[in-house]
Amino acid sequence: MKQFIKSKQLKIILMLLVIIAGIVMIAVKGFNFDLKYQDTQRVELYLKTEFNISDIRQITDEVFGNQKVMIQKVEVFEDSVSITTTSISDEQKSNLITKINEKYGTELTAEDTTVEDIGHTRGRDIIKPYIIPFVVAVIIVLIYLGIRYHKLSIAKVIAKSIGIMALAQILLFSVMAITRIPIGRLTIPMVILVYLLTLFGITNKFEKDLSKKKLDENKDKSKKK
Amino acid sequence: MKKVKIITMIVLIILITMVSFFGVYTQVQNRMENQVRNYALDMDLDGARYVRLSVNKESTEVIKDANGNEVETDEEMTDEQLAENGYTKESVPNNSEDVLTVENYEKSKKIISERLESQGVGEYEISLDNETGDILVQIPENNTTDTFVSNMNTVGKFEIIDADTKEVLMDNSDIKLVNVMYGSGSSTTSGTTVYLNIEFNKEGTKKLEEISNTYVESTDTTNTTSENTTNTETENTSTDNTTTEGNTTENTTSGETDATEDSTETTKEIKLNIDDQEIMTTSFDEPIENGKLQLSMGSATTDVDTLQDNISQASSIASVLDSGNLPIQYDIESNEYILSDITNTHIAYLALAVGIVLLIGLIIFIIRYRVNGLLSVIAFIGLVSFYLLVIRYTNVSVSIQGIVGIIVTIILNYIFINKILSTIKKSEDSKKLETVKEGIKESYREFFIKLIPICLSVIVFCFINWTTISSFGMVMFWGITLIALYNYLITATMLKVKAEK
Repeated sequence: MKQFIKSKQLKIILMLLVIIAGIVMIAVKGFNFDLKYQDTQRVELYLKTEFNISDIRQITDEVFGNQKVMIQKVEVFEDSVSITTTSISDEQKSNLITKINEKYGTELTAEDTTVEDIGHTRGRDIIKPYIIPFVVAVIIVLIYLGIRYHKLSIAKVIAKSIGIMALAQILLFSVMAITRIPIGRLTIPMVILVYLLTLFGITNKFEKDLSKKKLDENKDKSKKK
Repeated sequence: MKKVKIITMIVLIILITMVSFFGVYTQVQNRMENQVRNYALDMDLDGARYVRLSVNKESTEVIKDANGNEVETDEEMTDEQLAENGYTKESVPNNSEDVLTVENYEKSKKIISERLESQGVGEYEISLDNETGDILVQIPENNTTDTFVSNMNTVGKFEIIDADTKEVLMDNSDIKLVNVMYGSGSSTTSGTTVYLNIEFNKEGTKKLEEISNTYVESTDTTNTTSENTTNTETENTSTDNTTTEGNTTENTTSGETDATEDSTETTKEIKLNIDDQEIMTTSFDEPIENGKLQLSMGSATTDVDTLQDNISQASSIASVLDSGNLPIQYDIESNEYILSDITNTHIAYLALAVGIVLLIGLIIFIIRYRVNGLLSVIAFIGLVSFYLLVIRYTNVSVSIQGIVGIIVTIILNYIFINKILSTIKKSEDSKKLETVKEGIKESYREFFIKLIPICLSVIVFCFINWTTISSFGMVMFWGITLIALYNYLITATMLKVKAEK
């Protein structure tokens, strides 16, 4: 029992540490947003021919070094490339165009190539569409859990469920902040995954508690008899 | 007989797997074409239409009188004519400097988002450059994309003006809501009519009532002996209590010679303008007291395409008016389809990784549960193949969340099969049919009770009008349904048949 308490305490301390570290990280550095959601700059180059993204990647690696770069094919003919990165200096632009011209035999010029500024997508805009679905789903699930496990005390079941679900999501975001996993297209799938895992875990725990309680009740009844 | 049953099921599974993973090819003209439907992919995987809206920097030339008031004229005036009338020509920017604020940029972004949502765009991304006010919108590429794009930079300025004096009688501030309604045609026409229903707020309702009392057709009857040779052709529209016919009708009044009694119709008319474009000119037969104006879009029709066009047109106007007018005039600077940076190679790598992990898991099944394990593995492969076909044919839009849904379903099925096999193995006589039946029954009960909260969430997600979340919901819905049905029909049957042997 002592060992169990100790391990439980250890778990709580660990979780608290992760959450505090996450909060500190968010306060100091904020979340690390994926390139797609950052303030970026973009150039579009007409290559006149189909191309391999890996070839372009090779060129952008040479030109932009460690900068994150997103490469996309444009339109149905896929003969233009869109290159998006955090920032594009004049030197990088002319360097990129020179290398593209060498590789694809095009006659692009730096003067004719414009660099577009793209504003960032706000975090709240990313999560906005998911708020209502999650709130509705959680409410329905809580009602179900309250009814199904009423023998374990409705208030306790609901409070525990909300607590565990919230804790799991806070932990996820804390880990993301600490490890600098970017907030991007994979964030929502991760949130969903954690949500489902939590639901499965909660139900599993309540089922066990319920069957234990029923067993105890049966024992009491048989003792009385 | 039992052997035949098992072999038949295995052959069926192999067939489904072949179709699902390799396809069915037929010759179409000179090439082989896969007849199995492709996955419907969402914006993250399929690419999107990138629409860049930039703040209009152009100017419009306006003529002003000596008092500085704007003069409206249809004619092009020469410099001499302007000087004669004491007019001056000024170049006025379409977006004055005082409207180019961050608040207005934000407001424009919000309005564009609302327009997209009201038109049912299931997924979009919108970003704003706070310095320049430029907005980048990403929407899915499909048949309706161009309509959405055309509505994005429509200012949405709504005005009801006096047809003669051009006085603005009502504007956007009077609108409460705008939506689309349908109705059956009148007694003389059959089919369905699409209406644009404009509901006004309290103040707007009062104004509309006043207007509908003022702008009416009136007939003055005078006795005259002169020859009447009037032949007027006016384009006007009739408005009854709540319905205004949007389609123009020609009202020709032919003069009668030698008439002794002459009826002169004097009609005060209003013009309904959207973005300074005249939508209709009309007058009212009766006062409108309920604050609702219903404008018919086209005439009653039974033709599905025409009806669809009318609905689309009405929805576009409704969405533009309902979301309010853009405080800034925007131009579409670029409008192009850009493919996703997630390529088929990325998806292939992911599928390979999942496949390898699954393969290891399935080998563990065979090692742990022997023949039962082998039969379950065959059934498992069949379920995955059938599941992928179901996703294709139920037209579920597959997003990254959807892919997660597929992986979660595979994991859930693994847990479920493991539960069945371990329950059977735990029993004293695992080869007895009764034990197998009992094991399956118990596993079903225990597993699906724990799955109810997930099922509830999945059902909620299915009904959400946001592609990524509904994609996850739908994928999971079909997954859980298949886990229940397929395993009952195939896996459980195979295990039972084997036990009977």
